[in-house]
Amino acid sequence: MKCINCGADVRLTDKVCPYCGRVIKENAGYRADMEYYKKDSARTKKKVREILSENIPIVISAIILVVLLIADGVLLYVEENAFYFRESAAQRESEKKYETYSAAIQDYLDAGDYAGFSAFEEYHNIAEWEPPYDDLNVLCDMAKEYSSLVSAVEEVTMFGPDAKWYRPESDIRDCRSAIWYFNFQFEHNLSKIDEDPYKDYIYDMKAKADTIMEVYLGLDEAGRDEYFSSSSNKQEAYLEEVLLHD
Amino acid sequence: MTKKTILRISIIINIILATVFVVSLPGAMGALVFEYVEQDTIRPDTLRKYLERENYGTVAALSRPIRGGAEVSDTDADYYKLGEYAELLFLKEVYAKAGNADSAKACEDRISEIRKEMPEYGSVLDKIELSVENAVKE
Repeated sequence: MKCINCGADVRLTDKVCPYCGRVIKENAGYRADMEYYKKDSARTKKKVREILSENIPIVISAIILVVLLIADGVLLYVEENAFYFRESAAQRESEKKYETYSAAIQDYLDAGDYAGFSAFEEYHNIAEWEPPYDDLNVLCDMAKEYSSLVSAVEEVTMFGPDAKWYRPESDIRDCRSAIWYFNFQFEHNLSKIDEDPYKDYIYDMKAKADTIMEVYLGLDEAGRDEYFSSSSNKQEAYLEEVLLHD
Repeated sequence: MTKKTILRISIIINIILATVFVVSLPGAMGALVFEYVEQDTIRPDTLRKYLERENYGTVAALSRPIRGGAEVSDTDADYYKLGEYAELLFLKEVYAKAGNADSAKACEDRISEIRKEMPEYGSVLDKIELSVENAVKE
């Protein structure tokens, strides 16, 4: 606006003209409004600060609550899935050590120690269903059954002079099942075995299982034929006869 | 509901959640700790029980993890070795019969090694040998 006395440019908030010193009355209403708005703004700010200070503890508490909820959720998820995390980390490690583990596996196979191989595979978390170990898939399956057969025959045959055998009937039943299952798996997977890169080892495994039956259960080739063609009750009766009464 | 009530409720919930967090943390962290080569979990007292019962076949079967390279604590190693001894004797007979002379010889070498390593278990080793001898049906 302009000073009506000297015509100089003055601001709406000037009380006097800075050039001629005249008291400016024309902007008094504007200045009064400005004053009111300033006070009102200060009041509003104060109110906001008061409300904020009242709500800050609730806001902080709500933030902590959300953080704790997320943290508890994460912990729960970790606990639920820890097995899978461990498995997957261990499998990644076994993939990294492929060369070393493959050499160790070959040693077990060359020695015909398929039970040892099965234990190695289990305790080194080798995922035989995934590359790079997937070519071991059939061999591993058969080795697991062979390992069970070896354990079952060991458990019913090796006793010291003062041994206490608490559950002979159930152990003999388990032994019969383990023998039956290994042979069933072998016969059932024969076409797969014949195409497997490790088929020679699997056939050797079968030969060793037969030898175990011959050495420890008195079943030579003819005996095994007769044994496998008989019913499960007769198989159990045979094992009881050999193991309990001989 | 006043702000104070809301604050109180949220503080209570926070305390509960914090307690759940503190209680769950060691379990979750523990569940993530593992060895790449697994440690066998059979308790040595189980092996001891079967040794006392002279069920050497069961000891052999339970100790097999050691032959697969599973890690076993030093205090339990002797029990596992007795099982390894029993299993190798068992398998040696099979390899010999199957004509795997090299494997039978490797078993024999390890058997002698274990015997030398465990002179204090001489009588148990003798009983294990006897158990395999008696188990052979020929």
